[in-house]
Amino acid sequence: MPYRRSIGALVLAATLCFSLAGARAFDDDKYPDLSGQWLRTDTGTPRYDPSKPAGRGQQAPLTPEYQAILEASLADQANGGQGNWQSGARCLPPGMPATMNGYNSMEIVVLPEITYVMVEHDLPIHRRIYTDGRNWPNEVEPTFQGYSIGRWLDTAGSGHYDVLEVETRGFKGPRSYDNSGLPLHADNQTVIKERIYFDKSDPKLLHDEITLTDHALTRPWSALKSYRRSADKYPIWREENCPGVTLLTKIGTEVYFKGADGKLLPTRKDQPPPDLRYFNQTRQ
Amino acid sequence: MIFRNSIAATALWSALMVMICGVATADESKYPDLKGQWRRAAGTGGLLAGGAGGLRYDEEPPLTPEYQAIYDENLADMMKGGQGIDPTYACVATGMPRFMIGYSSLEVVVTPEITYILTERDHDFFRRIYTDGRGFPANMEDNPQFLGYSIGRWLDEDGKGRYDTLVVETRGMKGPRVFDATGIPLHADNQTVVQERIYLDKANPNLLHDDVTTIDHALTRPWVVNRTFRRVVSDKPIWFNQSFCAEGNVHVGIDKEVYFLSADGLLMPAKKDQPPPDLRYFNRTQK
Repeated sequence: MPYRRSIGALVLAATLCFSLAGARAFDDDKYPDLSGQWLRTDTGTPRYDPSKPAGRGQQAPLTPEYQAILEASLADQANGGQGNWQSGARCLPPGMPATMNGYNSMEIVVLPEITYVMVEHDLPIHRRIYTDGRNWPNEVEPTFQGYSIGRWLDTAGSGHYDVLEVETRGFKGPRSYDNSGLPLHADNQTVIKERIYFDKSDPKLLHDEITLTDHALTRPWSALKSYRRSADKYPIWREENCPGVTLLTKIGTEVYFKGADGKLLPTRKDQPPPDLRYFNQTRQ
Repeated sequence: MIFRNSIAATALWSALMVMICGVATADESKYPDLKGQWRRAAGTGGLLAGGAGGLRYDEEPPLTPEYQAIYDENLADMMKGGQGIDPTYACVATGMPRFMIGYSSLEVVVTPEITYILTERDHDFFRRIYTDGRGFPANMEDNPQFLGYSIGRWLDEDGKGRYDTLVVETRGMKGPRVFDATGIPLHADNQTVVQERIYLDKANPNLLHDDVTTIDHALTRPWVVNRTFRRVVSDKPIWFNQSFCAEGNVHVGIDKEVYFLSADGLLMPAKKDQPPPDLRYFNRTQK
């Protein structure tokens, strides 16, 4: 009889455990719940520092050399060009830190070893933030998103992680902060530090505190980004595919429009047409 | 004494529970271990190299006569240097089912509600497969996608108390899409249905199979292709990290023609006697 009871208890325990495990899938009790769709809380053009206007209004602490590059980008855009913003002109990814500007929507998938950040902007892009305790590799292949190493912290001592600290290095370019063409240094030695956490008074609000060190800056530049979780049970994820919809095409150093009839159009006054020297012009 | 025994039993019980539950917290007991980096296994699956036309399938695609003609015309254009009907020359997404060819390494991220398949190629960097029990949305056709809308279901086919197979159905696609780089066409109505069975090889857990069945109005019957991926045995695999087609793309589509960009950034014909683009909207005296 006691034997039967033990079996019964074991079965009960196993059942309990199975349901507990189901509810606590992927260590949910240890990590903050970052599931769902995140949308930026600021309005207007997505930009690095949401508390300030875009472009010059960002008051980026640029070196004189890079301030001049920003001015040239703005002047080119005022004339119909794309300036330094390659994401639009060439369908390239914005890269970090612009990935975190909150274009469209963002998804964060937390696993113990890696946190993934997935964003739809012009094209679907994802970041991997390694939280498996690894060190910086001896060699990092440069990428637009960089190589990110993170560390979960339990700052409140509650037994639950509440802050994800991230450092990102190993970039390639061209990258700019936003669509004004606010430049990062061409040496791509940018270092980005982030603290990602929930607001203490509003647990539905997620913050990303970013501090950027870059040789185009006279000092580290910080910004606070905030995102709110979509209330939709099944949020709609857009599939952005810039090359499928863009009306811009780059030939050599020039960017042209494609008209409704498919033919090339200039993007600015007196823009030279493409050089056709390699065609047999007599056949035109 | 009975009381002491109870305490000891409770302590033992608690320890046992922690051990059992501790193992289960990451739910690895419930789902197959699909972690790591997967690369297309050479010599296996549906694609075989060879022949003047490049890639060849194990079997001829079962195209309707109408779509066989489209395919043949496409191949003829490719033989002349054109891009045929393959839209990816312009860095447009491959979409489904081509996404699962495994052009670059894959990562499969399993969570109870969604399985994500991440790749490093062009403009299809990740796919979501919903396993939270939802149905296809009623308004799916309002938001068609190259990768479509994928709903999956985990099965425990062996009855071992652990999921071993992910069955997936994908609908709601948009085009243009083709099956592969040779331009095997899918129907322009985009009513494609893709059914998959994703599972680890029973003899070798470092082999992942994806049995892909495509149902499409360009086909005379469902077309089944078996794909196999091999796990890179490393705890820190190198991700070649997001090869962006647009970075080095040398194809430029203007009007109905596709040209090359030369090393010096100038337009070049891709085919013999290809006409240059029509520049009627430019002030030619500025040239």
